[in-house]
Amino acid sequence: MTDSARVALLDVRTVAPYRRQLLLTPLLVMAIMVNRPEVLVPGLILLCASNTAGYPFMVSDRADLETLYAVLPLTRRSLLLGHYLWALAIFTATAGIGTPAALILARWQHISFSGHTVATIVSLSWAAFALAVAIQFPLFVRFGYTRVGMLATTLPITLVALAATRLHLHFTPDTTVIALVAAGGAALLMASVAVTTAVDPHRPRTAATAPAAAATT
Amino acid sequence: MDPEHAFAFRGVHATVGRFRLRDVSFSLPQGYVMGFVGANGAGKTTSIRCLLGMQRIDRGEIEVLGHRVPTPVALRQDVGVVLDHSYLVGEWRLTEVERAVEPFYDRWDTARYHDLLADFGLDPRARVKDLSRGMAVKLMITIALSHRARLLVFDEPTSGLDPVARDELSAILGDFLTDERHSILFSTHITSDLERIGDYLTLVHDGRIVATGTKDEVLDGYRIVRGGPDDFADVVGVPLIGLRRTGVAAEALVATEDAGLLGDRVVIERPSLEEIAVHIGSPAPGRARAKEYS
Repeated sequence: MTDSARVALLDVRTVAPYRRQLLLTPLLVMAIMVNRPEVLVPGLILLCASNTAGYPFMVSDRADLETLYAVLPLTRRSLLLGHYLWALAIFTATAGIGTPAALILARWQHISFSGHTVATIVSLSWAAFALAVAIQFPLFVRFGYTRVGMLATTLPITLVALAATRLHLHFTPDTTVIALVAAGGAALLMASVAVTTAVDPHRPRTAATAPAAAATT
Repeated sequence: MDPEHAFAFRGVHATVGRFRLRDVSFSLPQGYVMGFVGANGAGKTTSIRCLLGMQRIDRGEIEVLGHRVPTPVALRQDVGVVLDHSYLVGEWRLTEVERAVEPFYDRWDTARYHDLLADFGLDPRARVKDLSRGMAVKLMITIALSHRARLLVFDEPTSGLDPVARDELSAILGDFLTDERHSILFSTHITSDLERIGDYLTLVHDGRIVATGTKDEVLDGYRIVRGGPDDFADVVGVPLIGLRRTGVAAEALVATEDAGLLGDRVVIERPSLEEIAVHIGSPAPGRARAKEYS
């Protein structure tokens, strides 16, 4: 197992004690969107997954996990990549549960869902998720969750909602567009990793970690 | 690089806000315990953070287990850290603490973790947030000892422990030191702990090292001088460290070689470590000269 995978696993354990409150929001979203299966996956991704992805940062601020990270045999790069790996896992789990749920609801309500529609929904959701994480993570690392948590979590949702309403997204993209959207999401995340790595040396310091010297590998 | 040293500071300068470490030099041979003594704000925690690579240094160099800081990340496998506060998720149970940190350590010893929890009277089902400060320190010590570190770094570990727990800790550290490659840096203001387990002592005050050497060298390096309230009024050329005057008496710490210069009008005694720490940490006039014993 790589160090980044270990960090992703540590993130799972970090948020595990809060699983009840984290599961409440998706259940509410599913209840509200039970009659709109076509927006279930984007709703779950934007309202739940993108917030959950940032949860380890919140717990880290609260419990001084930056000190734990500084003590563990772990490079900062592995740590940051691990947080992104955790985010990818959250997206995969949410899409993996939300998509079949949307299909079941659509079938139950006699709404026709083609494979193309599913691909469109998932790729758009992926792009929205990638945008959310790409904005949130550098802000969390640079300023700390406590200072920018609300802004960082609501800004991406606002941007996506504005884009959806202003651009009147009632089109049926072809396969190329879907692939481009998916690739665009991946590119956003990679750019975000680069930004997060660049701002990491300027992160706020706790009493125990200020200001850290870079560890070599 | 000196592989015989557990760690070595050489001319280290560091700045944290308005506080500065200045020309800090001291070292510990492998296989020994060093007590790191100083008042609050003297520079103990800053020095330890420099040692752990958590604090950037302005000048000088620090070496840990034969590697210059910043050390390779893999070296953290060999360094156990107990700080003066918990840095774990409060909602974790102690079993979950192990599951969280164990994947990062190559030599994690599950049996030892659970044995130490039992020895310290910690319930594996307890949550971190429900532990008292002393119990939290015991947990951090348990983690540090469970990954088979070669160097343990303790920042005020005993400040939250009751005397029985401090005694237990001394016994556990004694076991740890049966391996001659194991070493401990132990910062504390409870000097009685160091009287028992310290081999070396380093005294720090106002960001400077005041004395460093074996325990006997440091203790032999000072004398407590006591006299009447006016007995030190005309003393010239002898630094009186932490001079205290009352209406009927005066007391100060002096370098052993200076004690004879005060003549027979004062009483000269060998100080305890606590007396040395108190006088050196005192804001009263009289500065200590740095003493380094080879």
